[in-house]
Amino acid sequence: MRRYVRPMIPVIILYLTLLLVGLSSESRWQPVAFIMFYIALGQALNMFLGMTGYVDFGYVAFLALGSYGMALAFSSFSSLGLWVILLGFVLAIIMSSLLSLAVGAIALRLRGAYFAIATIGVNEGFRYLVEGVRLWGGSEGIIISSTMKDIFGSDLSNYISTFVADIMVFVIGFIAAFLTVYIINSRIGYALMAVREDEDAARVMGVFATKYKIMAFAMSAIFAGLIGASAWTLKLTYVFPEDVFNITYTVEAIAIVMLGGAGTLTGPIMGGLIYGFLRYYLSTVLPGFQLLVVAPLLVLIVTIFPEGVMGYVKRKVRNTRFEKYII
Amino acid sequence: MLKVEKLETGYSSMQVLWGIDIQVEKKSITTIMGPNGAGKTTTLRAIMGMLKPWSGKIMYDGKDVTDLPPHSKVDMGMTMVLEGRHLFGNMSVRENLMMGAYSEKAKEKMEDSLEIVYSLFPILKEREEQKAGTLSGGQQQMLAIARALMARPEFIMLDEPSQGLAPIVVDQVMDTLKKLREELGITILLVEQNVMASLKAGDYTYIIENGRVVSHGEPSRLIDLKEVRKAYLGI
Repeated sequence: MRRYVRPMIPVIILYLTLLLVGLSSESRWQPVAFIMFYIALGQALNMFLGMTGYVDFGYVAFLALGSYGMALAFSSFSSLGLWVILLGFVLAIIMSSLLSLAVGAIALRLRGAYFAIATIGVNEGFRYLVEGVRLWGGSEGIIISSTMKDIFGSDLSNYISTFVADIMVFVIGFIAAFLTVYIINSRIGYALMAVREDEDAARVMGVFATKYKIMAFAMSAIFAGLIGASAWTLKLTYVFPEDVFNITYTVEAIAIVMLGGAGTLTGPIMGGLIYGFLRYYLSTVLPGFQLLVVAPLLVLIVTIFPEGVMGYVKRKVRNTRFEKYII
Repeated sequence: MLKVEKLETGYSSMQVLWGIDIQVEKKSITTIMGPNGAGKTTTLRAIMGMLKPWSGKIMYDGKDVTDLPPHSKVDMGMTMVLEGRHLFGNMSVRENLMMGAYSEKAKEKMEDSLEIVYSLFPILKEREEQKAGTLSGGQQQMLAIARALMARPEFIMLDEPSQGLAPIVVDQVMDTLKKLREELGITILLVEQNVMASLKAGDYTYIIENGRVVSHGEPSRLIDLKEVRKAYLGI
Protein backbone atom coordinates (compact mmCIF):
# COMPACT_ATOMS: atom_id res chain seq x y z
CA MET A 1 0.00 0.00 0.00
CA ARG A 2 2.77 2.42 0.95
CA ARG A 3 4.38 2.11 -2.44
CA TYR A 4 1.18 3.52 -3.93
CA VAL A 5 0.62 6.24 -1.35
CA ARG A 6 4.10 7.69 -0.97
CA PRO A 7 4.67 8.61 -4.63
CA MET A 8 1.23 10.24 -4.67
CA ILE A 9 2.18 12.72 -1.93
CA PRO A 10 4.10 15.12 -4.19
CA VAL A 11 1.32 14.77 -6.77
CA ILE A 12 -1.36 15.65 -4.24
CA ILE A 13 0.66 18.62 -2.98
CA LEU A 14 1.12 19.95 -6.51
CA TYR A 15 -2.53 19.50 -7.41
CA LEU A 16 -3.80 21.07 -4.17
CA THR A 17 -1.46 24.03 -4.51
CA LEU A 18 -2.59 24.60 -8.05
CA LEU A 19 -6.24 24.29 -7.09
CA LEU A 20 -5.90 26.71 -4.16
CA VAL A 21 -4.01 29.24 -6.27
CA GLY A 22 -6.76 29.02 -8.87
CA LEU A 23 -9.56 29.44 -6.38
CA SER A 24 -7.84 32.28 -4.50
CA SER A 25 -8.96 34.93 -6.96
CA GLU A 26 -11.12 35.01 -10.04
CA SER A 27 -8.37 36.30 -12.31
CA ARG A 28 -6.15 33.34 -11.43
CA TRP A 29 -8.61 30.61 -12.40
CA GLN A 30 -8.04 31.03 -16.13
CA PRO A 31 -4.22 30.63 -16.07
CA VAL A 32 -4.52 27.71 -13.65
CA ALA A 33 -7.03 25.95 -15.92
CA PHE A 34 -4.75 26.66 -18.88
CA ILE A 35 -1.78 25.08 -17.09
CA MET A 36 -3.95 22.21 -15.83
CA PHE A 37 -4.87 21.29 -19.39
CA TYR A 38 -1.20 20.85 -20.25
CA ILE A 39 -0.50 18.87 -17.07
CA ALA A 40 -3.34 16.45 -17.82
CA LEU A 41 -2.29 16.23 -21.47
CA GLY A 42 1.27 15.38 -20.45
CA GLN A 43 0.08 12.72 -18.02
CA ALA A 44 -2.15 11.12 -20.62
CA LEU A 45 0.59 10.93 -23.24
CA ASN A 46 3.15 9.80 -20.67
CA MET A 47 1.20 6.58 -20.19
CA PHE A 48 2.17 5.66 -23.73
CA LEU A 49 5.26 7.67 -24.71
CA GLY A 50 6.79 7.53 -21.25
CA MET A 51 6.07 3.87 -20.63
CA THR A 52 6.90 2.41 -24.04
CA GLY A 53 9.26 4.94 -25.59
CA TYR A 54 7.12 5.05 -28.74
CA VAL A 55 6.39 8.50 -30.18
CA ASP A 56 2.86 9.00 -31.52
CA PHE A 57 2.60 12.01 -33.83
CA GLY A 58 -1.11 11.46 -34.33
CA TYR A 59 -1.93 11.67 -30.63
CA VAL A 60 -4.26 14.66 -30.94
CA ALA A 61 -6.69 12.48 -32.91
CA PHE A 62 -7.66 10.83 -29.61
CA LEU A 63 -8.45 14.19 -28.03
CA ALA A 64 -10.40 15.04 -31.16
CA LEU A 65 -12.49 11.87 -31.01
CA GLY A 66 -13.15 12.46 -27.33
CA SER A 67 -14.38 15.95 -28.02
CA TYR A 68 -16.61 14.63 -30.81
CA GLY A 69 -17.94 11.99 -28.43
CA MET A 70 -19.10 14.67 -26.01
CA ALA A 71 -20.48 16.85 -28.82
CA LEU A 72 -22.42 13.93 -30.31
CA ALA A 73 -23.96 13.18 -26.92
CA PHE A 74 -25.31 16.72 -26.81
CA SER A 75 -26.46 16.84 -30.42
CA SER A 76 -28.16 13.41 -30.44
CA PHE A 77 -29.25 12.70 -26.86
CA SER A 78 -30.19 16.09 -25.43
CA SER A 79 -33.33 14.58 -23.88
CA LEU A 80 -31.22 12.87 -21.21
CA GLY A 81 -30.85 16.05 -19.17
CA LEU A 82 -27.82 16.17 -16.88
CA TRP A 83 -26.96 12.56 -17.75
CA VAL A 84 -25.91 13.73 -21.19
CA ILE A 85 -22.52 14.74 -19.79
CA LEU A 86 -21.93 11.26 -18.43
CA LEU A 87 -22.96 9.77 -21.78
CA GLY A 88 -20.57 12.22 -23.46
CA PHE A 89 -17.66 10.92 -21.40
CA VAL A 90 -18.66 7.33 -22.11
CA LEU A 91 -18.79 8.04 -25.84
CA ALA A 92 -15.41 9.80 -25.59
CA ILE A 93 -13.93 6.68 -23.99
CA ILE A 94 -15.46 4.34 -26.54
CA MET A 95 -14.48 6.38 -29.58
CA SER A 96 -10.92 7.13 -28.54
CA SER A 97 -10.23 3.57 -27.39
CA LEU A 98 -11.69 2.06 -30.57
CA LEU A 99 -9.43 4.27 -32.68
CA SER A 100 -6.43 3.37 -30.53
CA LEU A 101 -7.12 -0.36 -30.90
CA ALA A 102 -7.50 -0.04 -34.66
CA VAL A 103 -4.35 2.06 -35.03
CA GLY A 104 -2.42 0.06 -32.46
CA ALA A 105 -3.18 -3.31 -34.00
CA ILE A 106 -1.59 -2.15 -37.23
CA ALA A 107 0.95 0.55 -36.39
CA LEU A 108 2.38 -1.00 -33.20
CA ARG A 109 3.89 -3.72 -35.37
CA LEU A 110 6.25 -1.00 -36.56
CA ARG A 111 9.11 0.18 -34.44
CA GLY A 112 10.73 3.52 -33.71
CA ALA A 113 10.58 6.14 -36.42
CA TYR A 114 8.34 3.99 -38.63
CA PHE A 115 5.64 4.02 -35.98
CA ALA A 116 5.95 7.79 -35.55
CA ILE A 117 5.53 8.40 -39.29
CA ALA A 118 2.59 6.02 -39.63
CA THR A 119 0.72 7.81 -36.85
CA ILE A 120 1.01 11.25 -38.46
CA GLY A 121 -1.07 9.81 -41.28
CA VAL A 122 -3.83 8.71 -38.90
CA ASN A 123 -4.48 12.20 -37.60
CA GLU A 124 -4.40 13.95 -40.98
CA GLY A 125 -6.38 11.15 -42.58
CA PHE A 126 -9.12 11.30 -39.97
CA ARG A 127 -9.41 15.07 -40.26
CA TYR A 128 -9.85 14.94 -44.04
CA LEU A 129 -12.34 12.11 -43.62
CA VAL A 130 -14.46 14.25 -41.29
CA GLU A 131 -14.26 17.27 -43.59
CA GLY A 132 -14.44 15.35 -46.85
CA VAL A 133 -17.45 13.09 -46.27
CA ARG A 134 -19.10 15.72 -44.03
CA LEU A 135 -19.04 13.34 -41.09
CA TRP A 136 -20.31 14.92 -37.83
CA GLY A 137 -21.07 18.28 -39.45
CA GLY A 138 -17.97 18.21 -41.66
CA SER A 139 -15.83 21.34 -41.57
CA GLU A 140 -18.64 23.31 -39.87
CA GLY A 141 -18.19 21.11 -36.82
CA ILE A 142 -20.73 20.74 -34.03
CA ILE A 143 -21.88 23.67 -31.90
CA ILE A 144 -23.53 22.68 -28.65
CA SER A 145 -23.96 26.05 -26.87
CA SER A 146 -27.68 26.44 -27.65
CA THR A 147 -28.45 22.79 -26.81
CA MET A 148 -26.59 23.25 -23.55
CA LYS A 149 -28.69 26.32 -22.71
CA ASP A 150 -31.88 24.42 -23.54
CA ILE A 151 -30.96 21.57 -21.22
CA PHE A 152 -29.33 23.37 -18.31
CA GLY A 153 -30.50 26.97 -18.59
CA SER A 154 -27.99 29.71 -19.24
CA ASP A 155 -26.63 30.09 -15.68
CA LEU A 156 -25.80 26.43 -15.22
CA SER A 157 -24.40 26.18 -18.78
CA ASN A 158 -22.13 29.06 -18.01
CA TYR A 159 -21.04 27.46 -14.76
CA ILE A 160 -20.35 24.17 -16.54
CA SER A 161 -18.20 25.66 -19.26
CA THR A 162 -16.30 28.13 -17.08
CA PHE A 163 -15.78 25.97 -13.98
CA VAL A 164 -17.01 22.37 -14.08
CA ALA A 165 -15.16 21.60 -17.34
CA ASP A 166 -11.90 22.80 -15.79
CA ILE A 167 -12.50 20.84 -12.60
CA MET A 168 -13.13 17.75 -14.74
CA VAL A 169 -9.70 18.18 -16.33
CA PHE A 170 -8.28 18.35 -12.82
CA VAL A 171 -10.01 15.13 -11.87
CA ILE A 172 -8.98 13.35 -15.10
CA GLY A 173 -5.35 14.38 -14.55
CA PHE A 174 -5.49 13.13 -10.97
CA ILE A 175 -6.94 9.76 -11.93
CA ALA A 176 -4.27 9.48 -14.64
CA ALA A 177 -1.59 10.07 -11.99
CA PHE A 178 -3.06 7.40 -9.75
CA LEU A 179 -3.26 4.89 -12.57
CA THR A 180 0.34 5.70 -13.52
CA VAL A 181 1.52 4.85 -9.99
CA TYR A 182 -0.41 1.62 -10.15
CA ILE A 183 1.05 0.66 -13.54
CA ILE A 184 4.63 1.53 -12.55
CA ASN A 185 4.33 -0.80 -9.53
CA SER A 186 2.64 -3.65 -11.38
CA ARG A 187 3.74 -6.43 -13.70
CA ILE A 188 2.48 -4.34 -16.60
CA GLY A 189 4.92 -1.65 -15.54
CA TYR A 190 7.85 -4.06 -15.48
CA ALA A 191 6.86 -5.44 -18.85
CA LEU A 192 6.59 -1.95 -20.34
CA MET A 193 9.90 -0.91 -18.82
CA ALA A 194 11.57 -3.94 -20.40
CA VAL A 195 9.95 -3.13 -23.75
CA ARG A 196 11.10 0.47 -23.54
CA GLU A 197 14.67 -0.43 -22.64
CA ASP A 198 15.07 -3.27 -25.12
CA GLU A 199 12.13 -4.82 -26.90
CA ASP A 200 13.97 -7.91 -28.17
CA ALA A 201 15.35 -8.67 -24.72
CA ALA A 202 11.86 -8.25 -23.27
CA ARG A 203 10.44 -10.75 -25.74
CA VAL A 204 13.00 -13.48 -25.05
CA MET A 205 12.25 -13.05 -21.34
CA GLY A 206 8.65 -13.92 -22.01
CA VAL A 207 7.05 -10.47 -22.22
CA PHE A 208 4.12 -10.39 -24.65
CA ALA A 209 5.32 -7.03 -25.96
CA THR A 210 2.50 -6.31 -28.40
CA LYS A 211 -0.20 -6.86 -25.80
CA TYR A 212 1.32 -4.45 -23.31
CA LYS A 213 2.06 -1.84 -25.94
CA ILE A 214 -1.57 -1.90 -27.07
CA MET A 215 -2.77 -1.71 -23.45
CA ALA A 216 -0.63 1.36 -22.78
CA PHE A 217 -1.73 2.89 -26.07
CA ALA A 218 -5.43 2.38 -25.33
CA MET A 219 -5.19 3.73 -21.77
CA SER A 220 -3.32 6.76 -22.96
CA ALA A 221 -5.91 7.29 -25.72
CA ILE A 222 -8.83 7.04 -23.30
CA PHE A 223 -7.41 9.78 -21.09
CA ALA A 224 -6.75 11.92 -24.15
CA GLY A 225 -10.38 11.40 -25.17
CA LEU A 226 -11.62 12.44 -21.72
CA ILE A 227 -9.47 15.57 -21.82
CA GLY A 228 -10.80 16.45 -25.28
CA ALA A 229 -14.38 15.91 -24.13
CA SER A 230 -14.06 18.21 -21.18
CA ALA A 231 -11.33 20.78 -21.93
CA TRP A 232 -12.59 21.37 -25.46
CA THR A 233 -16.24 20.46 -25.96
CA LEU A 234 -17.64 21.24 -22.50
CA LYS A 235 -15.47 24.30 -22.04
CA LEU A 236 -15.62 25.86 -25.50
CA THR A 237 -19.10 24.48 -26.40
CA TYR A 238 -18.10 23.77 -29.99
CA VAL A 239 -15.95 21.32 -31.99
CA PHE A 240 -14.27 22.32 -35.26
CA PRO A 241 -12.14 19.75 -37.07
CA GLU A 242 -9.29 22.15 -37.86
CA ASP A 243 -9.01 22.98 -34.15
CA VAL A 244 -9.27 19.52 -32.65
CA PHE A 245 -7.08 17.75 -35.21
CA ASN A 246 -4.38 20.41 -34.87
CA ILE A 247 -0.99 18.69 -34.73
CA THR A 248 0.37 21.49 -32.50
CA TYR A 249 -1.19 19.80 -29.47
CA THR A 250 0.63 16.56 -30.24
CA VAL A 251 3.93 18.39 -30.43
CA GLU A 252 3.18 20.27 -27.22
CA ALA A 253 2.30 17.04 -25.43
CA ILE A 254 5.55 15.39 -26.54
CA ALA A 255 7.53 18.47 -25.45
CA ILE A 256 5.85 18.39 -22.01
CA VAL A 257 6.60 14.71 -21.44
CA MET A 258 10.24 15.05 -22.55
CA LEU A 259 10.70 18.25 -20.60
CA GLY A 260 9.40 16.79 -17.35
CA GLY A 261 10.86 13.31 -17.72
CA ALA A 262 9.35 10.49 -19.76
CA GLY A 263 8.20 7.48 -17.79
CA THR A 264 8.20 9.25 -14.43
CA LEU A 265 5.05 10.05 -12.45
CA THR A 266 5.80 13.65 -11.53
CA GLY A 267 7.60 14.45 -14.81
CA PRO A 268 4.61 15.29 -17.00
CA ILE A 269 3.08 17.29 -14.13
CA MET A 270 6.23 19.38 -13.80
CA GLY A 271 6.57 19.57 -17.58
CA GLY A 272 2.97 20.75 -17.98
CA LEU A 273 3.46 23.27 -15.21
CA ILE A 274 6.61 24.76 -16.74
CA TYR A 275 5.30 24.69 -20.30
CA GLY A 276 1.82 26.01 -19.47
CA PHE A 277 3.22 28.72 -17.23
CA LEU A 278 5.73 29.91 -19.85
CA ARG A 279 3.16 29.92 -22.62
CA TYR A 280 0.54 31.76 -20.63
CA TYR A 281 2.68 34.47 -19.11
CA LEU A 282 4.90 35.03 -22.11
CA SER A 283 1.77 35.60 -24.19
CA THR A 284 0.74 38.39 -21.82
CA VAL A 285 4.24 39.89 -21.53
CA LEU A 286 5.33 39.45 -25.15
CA PRO A 287 2.12 38.89 -27.09
CA GLY A 288 2.74 37.21 -30.44
CA PHE A 289 6.29 36.22 -29.56
CA GLN A 290 5.57 33.61 -26.94
CA LEU A 291 6.42 30.62 -29.11
CA LEU A 292 9.63 32.31 -30.22
CA VAL A 293 10.69 32.54 -26.60
CA VAL A 294 9.29 29.21 -25.47
CA ALA A 295 11.21 27.25 -28.12
CA PRO A 296 14.77 28.28 -27.13
CA LEU A 297 13.83 28.00 -23.46
CA LEU A 298 12.72 24.41 -24.02
CA VAL A 299 15.92 23.65 -25.91
CA LEU A 300 17.89 25.09 -23.01
CA ILE A 301 16.04 23.10 -20.34
CA VAL A 302 16.26 19.86 -22.28
CA THR A 303 20.00 20.41 -22.82
CA ILE A 304 20.55 20.89 -19.10
CA PHE A 305 18.24 18.00 -18.12
CA PRO A 306 18.43 15.36 -20.86
CA GLU A 307 16.26 12.96 -18.84
CA GLY A 308 13.77 15.72 -18.11
CA VAL A 309 13.55 17.86 -15.00
CA MET A 310 12.06 15.14 -12.80
CA GLY A 311 14.30 12.51 -14.37
CA TYR A 312 17.18 14.61 -13.05
CA VAL A 313 15.59 15.00 -9.61
CA LYS A 314 14.85 11.28 -9.49
CA ARG A 315 18.52 10.50 -10.11
CA LYS A 316 19.58 13.01 -7.44
CA VAL A 317 17.36 11.53 -4.74
CA ARG A 318 18.43 7.97 -5.45
CA ASN A 319 19.55 6.24 -2.24
CA THR A 320 18.15 9.03 -0.06
CA ARG A 321 15.00 8.91 2.02
CA PHE A 322 13.12 10.85 -0.68
CA GLU A 323 13.65 8.05 -3.17
CA LYS A 324 10.29 6.43 -2.46
CA TYR A 325 8.42 9.68 -3.02
CA ILE A 326 9.73 10.60 -6.45
CA ILE A 327 9.00 7.96 -9.09
CA MET B 1 14.33 -31.94 -27.55
CA LEU B 2 14.20 -29.73 -30.62
CA LYS B 3 13.61 -30.73 -34.18
CA VAL B 4 13.64 -28.26 -37.05
CA GLU B 5 12.43 -29.48 -40.42
CA LYS B 6 12.82 -27.73 -43.78
CA LEU B 7 12.72 -24.32 -42.14
CA GLU B 8 12.45 -21.43 -44.59
CA THR B 9 12.22 -17.77 -43.69
CA GLY B 10 13.68 -14.34 -44.35
CA TYR B 11 13.11 -10.62 -44.10
CA SER B 12 10.26 -9.07 -46.16
CA SER B 13 11.00 -10.39 -49.65
CA MET B 14 14.55 -11.59 -49.06
CA GLN B 15 14.74 -15.27 -48.29
CA VAL B 16 17.58 -16.18 -45.95
CA LEU B 17 16.93 -19.79 -44.93
CA TRP B 18 16.33 -22.36 -47.67
CA GLY B 19 15.26 -25.45 -45.77
CA ILE B 20 17.20 -25.91 -42.56
CA ASP B 21 17.09 -29.30 -40.79
CA ILE B 22 18.46 -29.38 -37.28
CA GLN B 23 18.03 -31.76 -34.40
CA VAL B 24 19.06 -31.05 -30.81
CA GLU B 25 19.24 -33.96 -28.38
CA LYS B 26 18.24 -33.53 -24.77
CA LYS B 27 21.07 -32.30 -22.53
CA SER B 28 23.42 -31.84 -25.45
CA ILE B 29 25.41 -28.83 -26.55
CA THR B 30 24.73 -28.44 -30.24
CA THR B 31 26.57 -25.78 -32.18
CA ILE B 32 25.84 -23.99 -35.43
CA MET B 33 28.79 -22.64 -37.36
CA GLY B 34 29.10 -20.82 -40.60
CA PRO B 35 30.39 -17.67 -42.26
CA ASN B 36 28.82 -14.21 -41.86
CA GLY B 37 25.43 -13.93 -43.46
CA ALA B 38 24.91 -17.68 -43.61
CA GLY B 39 21.68 -17.48 -41.60
CA LYS B 40 22.81 -18.58 -38.14
CA THR B 41 21.14 -15.74 -36.22
CA THR B 42 18.09 -15.97 -38.46
CA THR B 43 17.77 -19.65 -37.60
CA LEU B 44 17.78 -18.92 -33.87
CA ARG B 45 15.33 -16.01 -34.23
CA ALA B 46 12.97 -18.19 -36.22
CA ILE B 47 13.14 -21.00 -33.66
CA MET B 48 12.40 -18.51 -30.86
CA GLY B 49 9.50 -17.00 -32.81
CA MET B 50 11.01 -13.54 -33.12
CA LEU B 51 10.75 -14.08 -36.85
CA LYS B 52 7.85 -15.89 -38.47
CA PRO B 53 8.79 -19.08 -40.31
CA TRP B 54 7.57 -19.04 -43.94
CA SER B 55 7.44 -22.79 -44.14
CA GLY B 56 8.78 -25.86 -42.41
CA LYS B 57 8.19 -27.17 -38.95
CA ILE B 58 9.64 -26.62 -35.48
CA MET B 59 8.98 -29.33 -32.91
CA TYR B 60 9.87 -28.80 -29.26
CA ASP B 61 9.42 -31.57 -26.70
CA GLY B 62 7.26 -33.39 -29.19
CA LYS B 63 4.92 -30.42 -29.70
CA ASP B 64 4.53 -28.36 -32.84
CA VAL B 65 5.63 -24.83 -31.89
CA THR B 66 6.21 -23.48 -35.40
CA ASP B 67 3.86 -20.51 -35.12
CA LEU B 68 4.00 -19.81 -31.38
CA PRO B 69 5.08 -16.32 -30.26
CA PRO B 70 8.21 -15.96 -28.08
CA HIS B 71 6.36 -15.46 -24.78
CA SER B 72 4.53 -18.80 -25.15
CA LYS B 73 7.82 -20.51 -25.87
CA VAL B 74 9.38 -18.99 -22.75
CA ASP B 75 6.49 -20.52 -20.78
CA MET B 76 7.38 -23.88 -22.32
CA GLY B 77 10.96 -23.62 -21.10
CA MET B 78 12.73 -22.07 -24.06
CA THR B 79 14.79 -18.91 -24.00
CA MET B 80 17.52 -17.16 -25.90
CA VAL B 81 20.58 -15.05 -25.17
CA LEU B 82 20.64 -12.46 -27.92
CA GLU B 83 23.68 -11.45 -29.89
CA GLY B 84 25.26 -8.38 -28.31
CA ARG B 85 23.85 -9.26 -24.88
CA HIS B 86 20.94 -6.78 -24.85
CA LEU B 87 21.22 -6.01 -21.16
CA PHE B 88 19.29 -3.22 -19.47
CA GLY B 89 22.34 -1.01 -19.14
CA ASN B 90 20.81 1.50 -16.75
CA MET B 91 19.55 -1.09 -14.33
CA SER B 92 21.59 -2.82 -11.67
CA VAL B 93 22.79 -6.40 -12.01
CA ARG B 94 20.14 -7.55 -9.55
CA GLU B 95 17.37 -5.67 -11.37
CA ASN B 96 18.44 -7.25 -14.64
CA LEU B 97 18.21 -10.67 -13.06
CA MET B 98 14.82 -9.95 -11.55
CA MET B 99 13.51 -8.86 -14.94
CA GLY B 100 14.69 -12.21 -16.27
CA ALA B 101 12.23 -13.95 -13.95
CA TYR B 102 9.30 -12.24 -15.63
CA SER B 103 7.12 -15.22 -16.49
CA GLU B 104 4.58 -16.35 -13.89
CA LYS B 105 6.32 -19.66 -13.28
CA ALA B 106 9.77 -18.11 -12.98
CA LYS B 107 8.59 -15.40 -10.60
CA GLU B 108 7.58 -17.90 -7.94
CA LYS B 109 11.04 -19.43 -7.99
CA MET B 110 12.92 -16.14 -8.13
CA GLU B 111 14.75 -16.37 -4.80
CA ASP B 112 15.83 -19.90 -5.55
CA SER B 113 16.93 -18.91 -9.06
CA LEU B 114 18.96 -16.00 -7.72
CA GLU B 115 20.80 -18.38 -5.42
CA ILE B 116 21.60 -20.77 -8.26
CA VAL B 117 22.74 -17.96 -10.52
CA TYR B 118 24.91 -16.35 -7.85
CA SER B 119 26.60 -19.64 -7.04
CA LEU B 120 27.33 -20.13 -10.74
CA PHE B 121 28.58 -16.57 -11.16
CA PRO B 122 29.92 -15.31 -7.82
CA ILE B 123 31.17 -12.14 -9.51
CA LEU B 124 27.55 -11.11 -10.18
CA LYS B 125 26.77 -11.36 -6.49
CA GLU B 126 29.70 -9.06 -5.75
CA ARG B 127 28.51 -6.59 -8.37
CA GLU B 128 24.83 -6.90 -7.46
CA GLU B 129 24.19 -3.17 -7.08
CA GLN B 130 26.38 -2.07 -9.97
CA LYS B 131 24.79 -0.87 -13.20
CA ALA B 132 24.90 -3.56 -15.89
CA GLY B 133 26.36 -1.12 -18.42
CA THR B 134 29.48 -0.64 -16.30
CA LEU B 135 30.47 -4.32 -16.18
CA SER B 136 33.33 -5.67 -18.29
CA GLY B 137 32.50 -7.49 -21.52
CA GLY B 138 32.93 -10.93 -19.98
CA GLN B 139 30.84 -10.06 -16.93
CA GLN B 140 28.13 -8.65 -19.18
CA GLN B 141 28.01 -11.92 -21.08
CA MET B 142 27.80 -13.81 -17.80
CA LEU B 143 24.93 -11.55 -16.75
CA ALA B 144 23.15 -12.13 -20.06
CA ILE B 145 23.37 -15.88 -19.53
CA ALA B 146 22.37 -15.53 -15.87
CA ARG B 147 19.35 -13.44 -16.81
CA ALA B 148 18.26 -16.10 -19.26
CA LEU B 149 18.61 -18.72 -16.50
CA MET B 150 16.26 -16.72 -14.29
CA ALA B 151 13.43 -17.74 -16.64
CA ARG B 152 14.07 -21.35 -15.53
CA PRO B 153 14.63 -22.68 -19.03
CA GLU B 154 15.23 -26.25 -20.06
CA PHE B 155 16.55 -25.16 -23.42
CA ILE B 156 18.74 -22.12 -24.11
CA MET B 157 19.86 -20.74 -27.43
CA LEU B 158 22.93 -18.51 -27.39
CA ASP B 159 23.88 -16.22 -30.23
CA GLU B 160 27.64 -15.65 -30.37
CA PRO B 161 28.35 -15.40 -26.66
CA SER B 162 32.09 -15.13 -27.28
CA GLN B 163 31.77 -12.05 -29.47
CA GLY B 164 34.25 -9.36 -28.51
CA LEU B 165 35.71 -11.30 -25.60
CA ALA B 166 39.37 -12.06 -24.84
CA PRO B 167 40.37 -15.70 -25.50
CA ILE B 168 40.66 -16.54 -21.81
CA VAL B 169 37.17 -15.15 -21.18
CA VAL B 170 35.85 -17.15 -24.13
CA ASP B 171 37.10 -20.28 -22.37
CA GLN B 172 35.30 -19.23 -19.19
CA VAL B 173 32.04 -18.76 -21.09
CA MET B 174 32.39 -22.18 -22.71
CA ASP B 175 33.13 -23.78 -19.35
CA THR B 176 30.02 -22.14 -17.99
CA LEU B 177 27.92 -23.65 -20.75
CA LYS B 178 29.24 -27.10 -19.92
CA LYS B 179 28.40 -26.49 -16.28
CA LEU B 180 24.85 -25.51 -17.21
CA ARG B 181 24.43 -28.82 -18.91
CA GLU B 182 26.08 -30.90 -16.21
CA GLU B 183 24.65 -29.20 -13.12
CA LEU B 184 21.28 -27.97 -14.32
CA GLY B 185 20.63 -30.41 -17.13
CA ILE B 186 20.00 -27.64 -19.63
CA THR B 187 20.03 -28.30 -23.36
CA ILE B 188 22.02 -25.77 -25.36
CA LEU B 189 21.97 -24.61 -28.96
CA LEU B 190 24.95 -22.40 -29.61
CA VAL B 191 25.78 -20.19 -32.57
CA GLU B 192 29.48 -19.41 -32.73
CA GLN B 193 31.98 -17.73 -34.98
CA ASN B 194 34.80 -18.92 -32.79
CA VAL B 195 35.34 -22.25 -34.51
CA MET B 196 37.88 -23.81 -32.16
CA ALA B 197 35.84 -22.92 -29.10
CA SER B 198 32.61 -24.26 -30.50
CA LEU B 199 34.18 -27.46 -31.83
CA LYS B 200 35.68 -28.04 -28.42
CA ALA B 201 32.51 -27.32 -26.46
CA GLY B 202 29.94 -28.99 -28.66
CA ASP B 203 28.62 -32.55 -28.81
CA TYR B 204 27.26 -32.08 -32.29
CA THR B 205 27.86 -29.42 -34.91
CA TYR B 206 25.96 -28.09 -37.91
CA ILE B 207 27.66 -26.02 -40.57
CA ILE B 208 25.41 -23.60 -42.41
CA GLU B 209 26.23 -21.80 -45.63
CA ASN B 210 23.88 -19.63 -47.69
CA GLY B 211 20.88 -20.67 -45.64
CA ARG B 212 21.45 -24.42 -45.97
CA VAL B 213 23.05 -27.06 -43.78
CA VAL B 214 26.15 -28.13 -45.72
CA SER B 215 27.49 -30.65 -43.26
CA HIS B 216 26.90 -31.89 -39.77
CA GLY B 217 28.35 -34.38 -37.35
CA GLU B 218 30.36 -34.82 -34.21
CA PRO B 219 33.05 -32.17 -33.86
CA SER B 220 35.83 -34.77 -33.77
CA ARG B 221 34.70 -35.95 -37.20
CA LEU B 222 34.10 -32.49 -38.66
CA ILE B 223 37.48 -31.20 -37.58
CA ASP B 224 39.11 -33.79 -39.81
CA LEU B 225 37.09 -32.86 -42.90
CA LYS B 226 39.32 -31.14 -45.40
CA GLU B 227 36.71 -28.50 -46.28
CA VAL B 228 36.23 -27.53 -42.67
CA ARG B 229 39.92 -27.29 -41.96
CA LYS B 230 40.49 -25.17 -45.04
CA ALA B 231 37.49 -22.89 -44.72
CA TYR B 232 37.41 -22.32 -40.99
CA LEU B 233 40.77 -23.11 -39.55
CA GLY B 234 43.06 -22.09 -42.39
CA ILE B 235 45.17 -25.25 -42.01
